[in-house]
Amino acid sequence: MNGWAGQRLRVDLTTGEITKEPLSFEYRKKWIGGRGFNSEVIYNEVPPSLDPYDPKARVCFGVGPMSGSAAPSTGRVTVTAKSPLTGGFGDANMGGHWGAEVKYAGYDQIIVQGRAKKPVYIWIDDDKVELRDAGHLWGKFPREADQMIKEELGDEDIHIMMIGPAGENMVRFACTFNDVWRAAGRTGTGGVLGSKNLKAIATRGSGTVKVADPKKLMDVCNRLRQAFKNDPMKMGLYEFGSLCLINVANRDGWFPWKNFQGGAHPDANNLSGETHAATVLKHREGCYACPICCGRFTQIKDGKYAGEEFGGPEYEHAVPTGPRVGIIDDANDIWHNCCLTNDYGMDAIECGGTIAAAMEWYQRGLITTKDTGGLELEWGNAEVVATLIEQIGQRKGFGNILAEGADRASDKLGLGDEGHYYTITTRGMTLPGDDPRGLGFGYGLSFSVGTRGGCDHLRSLCCLELSGALYPGLNTRLLGDESACKPVTVNSKPYMVYYEENQKATTDCLNVCCFTTHWSYAVLTPDQVEYLNAVTGLDFTEEDFQEVGERIYNLERAYWNRCMSGSREDTVPERFLKEPMPQGVDYQTNVGVTFPLNDMLSQYYRYRDWDSKSGFPSERKLKQLGLDYVAKDLAPLRSKYVSETEKKKKKYYV
Amino acid sequence: MSNGKVLLFNHEKCAGCRSCVVGCSLYHDGECGKVLSRVAVVRNERFGESFPVGCDACSDAPCAAVCPTGACAMDHEAGITKIDANKCIGCKECAMACPFGAINMHYKTGKAFKCDLCEGREEGPVCADWCPGGAITYELPNVALKVKRRDKLTERLKAAKVGEEG
Repeated sequence: MNGWAGQRLRVDLTTGEITKEPLSFEYRKKWIGGRGFNSEVIYNEVPPSLDPYDPKARVCFGVGPMSGSAAPSTGRVTVTAKSPLTGGFGDANMGGHWGAEVKYAGYDQIIVQGRAKKPVYIWIDDDKVELRDAGHLWGKFPREADQMIKEELGDEDIHIMMIGPAGENMVRFACTFNDVWRAAGRTGTGGVLGSKNLKAIATRGSGTVKVADPKKLMDVCNRLRQAFKNDPMKMGLYEFGSLCLINVANRDGWFPWKNFQGGAHPDANNLSGETHAATVLKHREGCYACPICCGRFTQIKDGKYAGEEFGGPEYEHAVPTGPRVGIIDDANDIWHNCCLTNDYGMDAIECGGTIAAAMEWYQRGLITTKDTGGLELEWGNAEVVATLIEQIGQRKGFGNILAEGADRASDKLGLGDEGHYYTITTRGMTLPGDDPRGLGFGYGLSFSVGTRGGCDHLRSLCCLELSGALYPGLNTRLLGDESACKPVTVNSKPYMVYYEENQKATTDCLNVCCFTTHWSYAVLTPDQVEYLNAVTGLDFTEEDFQEVGERIYNLERAYWNRCMSGSREDTVPERFLKEPMPQGVDYQTNVGVTFPLNDMLSQYYRYRDWDSKSGFPSERKLKQLGLDYVAKDLAPLRSKYVSETEKKKKKYYV
Repeated sequence: MSNGKVLLFNHEKCAGCRSCVVGCSLYHDGECGKVLSRVAVVRNERFGESFPVGCDACSDAPCAAVCPTGACAMDHEAGITKIDANKCIGCKECAMACPFGAINMHYKTGKAFKCDLCEGREEGPVCADWCPGGAITYELPNVALKVKRRDKLTERLKAAKVGEEG
């Protein structure tokens, strides 16, 4: 079979049963791969009422038809589960080399269900699959467990997906890792694996990806790889990693200083990619077949953490564990925090965001040292932050409350609406370090409607609004409006978000990295269609590409709707709507800006064909996308949700 | 006639992305995968290290010296050893003799295969062409050595100067 492996692996940890299920041609065409396959399984096999930690819950690992192929950046994996953090639909996406290895072993998807009696790991050696004891690996940091598994299996070149202690301890925002450092960070999939007593999936694949038209694929790849050589974003990302954004974020006022109380700081350069490269960068790292190589490997050179080494950080890793909690003077403190979140295996965004919220509760007097076990949560207190990260990873002390995530912690502490005002979340998940008052109104809109807990930058990744100077003419070409290329404008943003969400969803199905398609814009939809067809031998069109993305987006949205989450929850933290952006540095471009969500939301609904009252996808739209069964599921819930509007407030999580 | 250029591997610049690997296998075999590549990357994730491995175009090549059938022999025109699949008996002697592990066994034919510098490819070998970090380059070795000599000297002089000032 060309492109796909053509089958998925299902492992039931309760019974030990291992099955391989063929994936039909129609199924592959309808859902394409990774995110599509996973979303379909979660929608159909995990009822919205099920506890995410119930043994019956599923965790899916999906790769796509391009995975392991020569197209730019084909190592990604989508990890999907019902999120223990938000209670709704959750997925995350990681790079590394494991995704390609899974494909080479002969699978498009791995579904894990059930619960093992004691800790186990899965060993996939091509078509041989077995469960092995992981008692000795439990409690180990990924860097230790990785080595132990490789020694045990006698092969240093295998690739391994695993969780850290935070996943074992069911921290609600624990990550899933592969290749030690590459994290599927968000929505807490690591905790779901922990609840199943699954430490790792070690994989050796000795197959290949078959290609329908090798010459055509070679031609497309030659052209695209040539384009990357001169691409301005590639150069920034290769040289400085995604930390290259720090100084840009500071200039444009979306640098999340102290839980978004500010948007810029005079010392931001302390943690910029430029500074990192000149001081602590040991090595650059690339995921499978990547022409960009934005990955970093850091070695701290001096101070009390001298000698500490870890993979990373990237922008969304350093920012929440640094400026978001007020740390900016000594970058080594930030690198150390990044190292800790890696070792424990948890989402740095949620971790830093939760600590930042706690610091603001402390600042405003909502909590005191009586609540925190004596810790003084002063902004920028690096020692306290490091202690809290460890406490969260171990679920000890005050950290045990913060391990629930910002919104649940607020409720556990009984802080009411005021507590939630300072949790910078939507649908129960903390926003990444991107202030919509500066990064852009498209980003903000995307935070409000995103389908993995609302608040995510990787649902639309609408960098089109930042791309004006680097890619002149691109917005005209894709959206018909060049004025959309500025962050702080509503022009064409609803359409931009709609377009990019669909585009991104299909990109996640191919499981190629969105830094090739939504950041650098060296690879556009026509190129993706071309390489997809070259590999699979099928005849996808650009319209199909958008339609598959739209189908997935609506399916994921419908999952939220079944959790009774809809239009009421389509919002952003009140801070962005109410508080004008203060001035942090004199060259800042967005002083005084607030985020105008309401100017965009109804227009976005119209593009989506979502009901304006409930925010549920219309029956017409669902049927048009071949989702008749979803329309049937939603029919009785629409009016129920709307009638609830009168008496119920927005849910912070479901 | 050989243009005298060879592949040079610099692990300090290797990000371990295996763009070389997918390019090599696709170009030569029309499939993508590590098992079909003439170039490999040894990754050491825990320490953030990666090492590209490929044919170093030895002038006194052990792979040719040990081949019992003459399948693996120096091609003076190309400036590199080549393996004639018709003569190869799949004994793996060349693969074991190569000091770098740059020879691979084909999963379908069972025969040995190795780098041919992408003979005839206009842009030069695909591994060097696709390498995003300059870890694999296609160069005249004498010129590359001169550049390296100068770079290293500059580095040492700079370090000495810093030492004096410090």
